[in-house]
Amino acid sequence: MIRAEGLAKRYGSKIAVDDITFTVRPGVVTGFLGPNGAGKSTTMRMIVGLDRPSAGTVTVNGRAYAQHAAPLREVGALLDAKAIHTGRSAYNRLLAMGATHGIGKARVREVIALTGLESVANKRVGGFSLGMGQRLGIAAALLGDPATLILDEPVNGLDPEGVMWVRNLARHLASEGRTIFLSSHLMSEMALTADHLIVLGRGRILADAPVAEILAASTRTSVRLRSPQADRLAALLRGPDVTVTPTEQGALSVTGLTAADIGDAAAGAGIPLHELTPVAASLEEAYMELTQDDVEYHAGGAGPTGRAAGSDPAAATGTGTTEYQEVAR
Amino acid sequence: MSATMTARPSAASLPRLSAVGILRSEWIKLRSVRSTVWSYAIIVVVSFAIALLLAATIDFDGAAPPAEMQTSIVLQASTFGIYFGQLIVGVLGVLTISGEYSTGMIRSTLTAVPKRLPALAAKALVLFVTTFVVGLISVFGSLLIASPLLAASGVEADYGDGALIGNLLLAALYLALVAVFALGLGTILRSSAGGIAASLGTILLLPTIVSLIAALTQAEWANDLMPYLFANAGTGMYTPSLGGEGLDQGQNTLVVLAWVAVSLVGGALLLKRRDA
Repeated sequence: MIRAEGLAKRYGSKIAVDDITFTVRPGVVTGFLGPNGAGKSTTMRMIVGLDRPSAGTVTVNGRAYAQHAAPLREVGALLDAKAIHTGRSAYNRLLAMGATHGIGKARVREVIALTGLESVANKRVGGFSLGMGQRLGIAAALLGDPATLILDEPVNGLDPEGVMWVRNLARHLASEGRTIFLSSHLMSEMALTADHLIVLGRGRILADAPVAEILAASTRTSVRLRSPQADRLAALLRGPDVTVTPTEQGALSVTGLTAADIGDAAAGAGIPLHELTPVAASLEEAYMELTQDDVEYHAGGAGPTGRAAGSDPAAATGTGTTEYQEVAR
Repeated sequence: MSATMTARPSAASLPRLSAVGILRSEWIKLRSVRSTVWSYAIIVVVSFAIALLLAATIDFDGAAPPAEMQTSIVLQASTFGIYFGQLIVGVLGVLTISGEYSTGMIRSTLTAVPKRLPALAAKALVLFVTTFVVGLISVFGSLLIASPLLAASGVEADYGDGALIGNLLLAALYLALVAVFALGLGTILRSSAGGIAASLGTILLLPTIVSLIAALTQAEWANDLMPYLFANAGTGMYTPSLGGEGLDQGQNTLVVLAWVAVSLVGGALLLKRRDA
């Protein structure tokens, strides 16, 4: 169980993490999703005390990480695995880390076997590929058999088999009742691994909900239409399962009806239509929409249209889908 | 009375953070990189080689030097390795921690020991003890090599008052303190290049610069400063002053300890305060 309250981190005038509050629960895989620079890594580093929060607190199982008698048994963390380049062998690196807690050779060999590093365990880590480094980082995280596992971009650099392995490992460990918190900037990966999502953008939480909920909301198809008699048409279409939202003068966004239903209804009532467009949001699009205003480094081109849609958690539930389409044009 | 306390037999066997564990961890780290082994080996080999060379080539044209000089010659032959070795441990001490910053190992270290200072203390202690032992091997090995050869040239040390043995111990102590001093600098600067520059600059360059200033400007303060420089005080630690001037050995030891304390305490404060 990880609990952050009013957590914030500033570097000079730059705000990396902006007053976030969340809980990561045991027994499920919680995904931490957001574009690069959103503050995911900083948040994870604050959880294990590598970075000092500018404000707020974060606890693991009710205590600050540093206050635990056996920190490695509470939390195993994989942070920034790519930085591992050393003259030490994987075996010695793990042995040195474990020694602080009296974790011996047997357990070190166990995690080496678990992460498939047997053949390279005595090689110097400097020659490791990104995928090997990632496996070593995961081995280090598992060393203390921790109740909480924090993995920052764990599938980075892994081959498809490795990705599958991490996914199964995370799900298996969660099923044992552990707290699993893993970050990614890939929605598709999270959709397969996580049960719950916390979406971060520019240091703020954009959404905090079960994956199923975010999926259901964001994959709902909507229909965009234009009509000179939009108000009359809106009144005609409204129903128990139908939401009609005026988007601009003479334009509506309708969910709960197909384009054919709307076209037939309009024809029946003699209302002219100037546009009738089904708008389907994919998972990736829903995520893009959620975070578009909060991406720190745009690739250029379309700029943000304003923070309203992105920063409002309600937008996470998909009503703003059409706006994403507008921007994309 | 104590029967009310609930025994938790499983808790004792579960792994937990301990001082002994942190020391063992730092020992594994120190011995498991090649640079450590090489550095220490070079100190010992070079010490012995210089002792051999010095003792074998020294020549007084048949006339033995005065008795007090004789002990001093034996001391010099036995401690030349320390004079040279301080440059190596000055680098090694920095690398012990700067290497962790450049490889990312520091994050493993500080997540395992989140209070941070115990990790630095263990690093300092392991480095100190190991370097002290290497220093002892260097000086006493050199003594064993040099003294029979010197005796053949009519130079024999006076072991009577134990002063020579004491000075050799102090020489090994100085070597160990150089390592800890450099560790402090590495902790402050967090970079191998910067740390080594600062460390070797203090040991090697600073005395040269200050003596240059003293020679060129005749500045009084520069002359007054000389004995308080790290490396000068270090040499003074294990070399009894022949004249009455300057600091005595105890004072020199205190000066060296002060340099080490500033470096290590500075490193500790920054390590505790900064983001890793």
